[in-house]
Amino acid sequence: MADRDLAIRVEHLSKRFRIPLDRSATLKHRLTHWRSATRYRILQALVDVSFDVRAGEFIGIIGHNGSGKSTLLKILSRIYQPNAGVVAIQGKVSPFLELGVGFNPELTARDNIFLSGAILGLSRAELHRRLEDIIGFAELEQFVDHKLKNFSSGMQVRLAFSLAIQAHADILMMDEVLAVGDAPFQQKCFDVFNRYKREGRTVVLVTHELSAVTTYCDRALLLDHGRLVADGDTADVTAQYRHAIGMAADGGRADAEMERWGSRDVVVTGIRMLDERGVEDTNPATGGFVRIEFGYVIQNDVVADFSCVLWLMRGDGVMISESNLPVSQYAQVGESQRGAGGTIRFDIPQLTLLDGAYSIDVELQGRRDRAVFDHLKNGLHFRVIDRRERRGVIEPGGAWSVVPAEQPADVPEPLASTRRAGRDERPGRRRS
Amino acid sequence: MSATADVRLPAAAPQLDTFRHYRQLTVELAISQFKLRYTQSVLGYLWSLLKPAMVFAITYFIFVDLFRINDGTKFYGIQLLLGIVIWTFFSECTASSMASIASNGGLIRKAYFPRSILVIAASLSSLFTFLINLVIVFVIAVALHQIDIGLRIFLVIPLLLELYLLAFGISLFLSALFVQFHDVSHLWEVLMQLLFYGSGVMFSLTYVLQRLHLALGVGQTKEQTPHLLWIVQLMAANPIMQTIEDLRHALLTPQAPWTELVVSGHLAAVKQYAAVDVPWEVPIPFLAVALVVTVGALTFRARARNFAENL
Repeated sequence: MADRDLAIRVEHLSKRFRIPLDRSATLKHRLTHWRSATRYRILQALVDVSFDVRAGEFIGIIGHNGSGKSTLLKILSRIYQPNAGVVAIQGKVSPFLELGVGFNPELTARDNIFLSGAILGLSRAELHRRLEDIIGFAELEQFVDHKLKNFSSGMQVRLAFSLAIQAHADILMMDEVLAVGDAPFQQKCFDVFNRYKREGRTVVLVTHELSAVTTYCDRALLLDHGRLVADGDTADVTAQYRHAIGMAADGGRADAEMERWGSRDVVVTGIRMLDERGVEDTNPATGGFVRIEFGYVIQNDVVADFSCVLWLMRGDGVMISESNLPVSQYAQVGESQRGAGGTIRFDIPQLTLLDGAYSIDVELQGRRDRAVFDHLKNGLHFRVIDRRERRGVIEPGGAWSVVPAEQPADVPEPLASTRRAGRDERPGRRRS
Repeated sequence: MSATADVRLPAAAPQLDTFRHYRQLTVELAISQFKLRYTQSVLGYLWSLLKPAMVFAITYFIFVDLFRINDGTKFYGIQLLLGIVIWTFFSECTASSMASIASNGGLIRKAYFPRSILVIAASLSSLFTFLINLVIVFVIAVALHQIDIGLRIFLVIPLLLELYLLAFGISLFLSALFVQFHDVSHLWEVLMQLLFYGSGVMFSLTYVLQRLHLALGVGQTKEQTPHLLWIVQLMAANPIMQTIEDLRHALLTPQAPWTELVVSGHLAAVKQYAAVDVPWEVPIPFLAVALVVTVGALTFRARARNFAENL
């Protein structure tokens, strides 16, 4: 590759799969039917795909199921051979695509670390040195010598993840790593993505999680039936993809499933998150205006009046706030007849949440007996983006001030700490 | 950049260079396969010792006590044991290596590394068991004074290498075909039966020749038994027979035939009866090994690129 800045160059890549129509591809079949060519269905997985990835770029590949995303990633990782085209790669490629490759349920956690670590390209000595860290990070100290088959899937994912972050490669290929874990796990994944970005590593991420693509990727590729139909700015490409699949909003469909229960005497319809212009946006910015809006429809005459509760939840299930519809507003929603409905809005003038994944739960309930009419858990997912990348969960909106003492204190000569106090405006921020 | 939790993230470790990476992976795979082979069994590793011991007991009973087959030397017992240990290695190595690609589909579809590593690891795991068994045979031989140690013991190393290469070449060929044609496992089972009798595990070639002399001596002419001559010639060309006989010679008893004897000497004996003259007979077993390794490697290489798709 002539250009030293390039990490990956793909030119006119095509891949076909031949899927035999009859599965009796045995030797006997071959021998008895050697004249008649076996009938195959040709599946054109990739058609004339070309693109470059610069070193240090974080690139997302999106597309519907069967669009060729994973095939492309496997060709880049040398697992599949292309039928036509050229792939040139500069730098050390991480040798595996998913978490926990090579894990064997019959082996202990310790044995699996050495086996899977060897696939990652880590030396035995290095793994010995880091064994405690790996086990500690996965929070599995008690289970080092237990067989993996006795682990819960969550424990297995933690172990796999803890191991995967040990490896160093210039180019990382990741296929749906976000699909396996719960919210805290996904948060850890995002932390690792941040680290990769900071270290300037090249990452190719295949995922259905569009919010992750918009947050972390510098660029996105959209595949449709094996063709590269869009390549460019993540916002444009994800918008094009949403449009193509008819997804009205981000919706966060890859997130935790929505759960719903209640008598349905009154139902919630279409939860949306809007920005100050009234445009749907599930990636609000810290400090910005957010409106949460949903409709209600009364389906049963017996309903006298009802109340509404809205919860803001962090991605890992921690409740951040619970807000009740004020009594003064009940009249507007109550005493209505079957078929009547309206819109309920919850406005947040200045969003204090910081970077992270969040969701909204909503409940409509009877005013007196608190009977649940309609409860939506994970009714809407959203991801807050803090442009200033502050740490923590909320921005408290505090104000700093430094008041110098009137009289100089009696300090021995060599120490001059008071003079430096003014510069240390943001304690707790560590320089790495 | 938000650093919420990555204060706790460990720094990435350096990756090994390619050669050391693959060597390390081979070793780890071999170790874990060795562990997995004896998982979920009470006696565990002991089985790798018990199996050849049991086969030996049965064979000894049938062939020595029942049929009185013996090559007349007092070393017959230990030679039989050595033959069985070698045969056990050959059959287990080829069988486990054959499945090594197909049974690791998950790994092949998710990670890149040279696919032959899986076959090498499976065969090394068998080799490891074999070497331990070999040491035990040696100890037994010393304990029973059924051994005549000489400098020729150093020849054990090239002979083991030859045996391993043969098993590895066959494993490459079988494992590559097994991915798409499971038929080869059935075919190989039958072939192994044939090879078992054609490799002199229970009897030496000398014994076969003695029987041949006998058969030809009592009124039968070579025209009446040409197939017998052919069988002996094939056996003499069989590299498994050659390594078994040579290992017996090198490790245990100088009386056991040596390659030169096995091939040219005994064929010369055969030639008294058969009108064949093969001047290049000595290297035949070695050429056979080279051919098997070459064909195996080429077949494997041609098919390895599509393993991920075909699994």
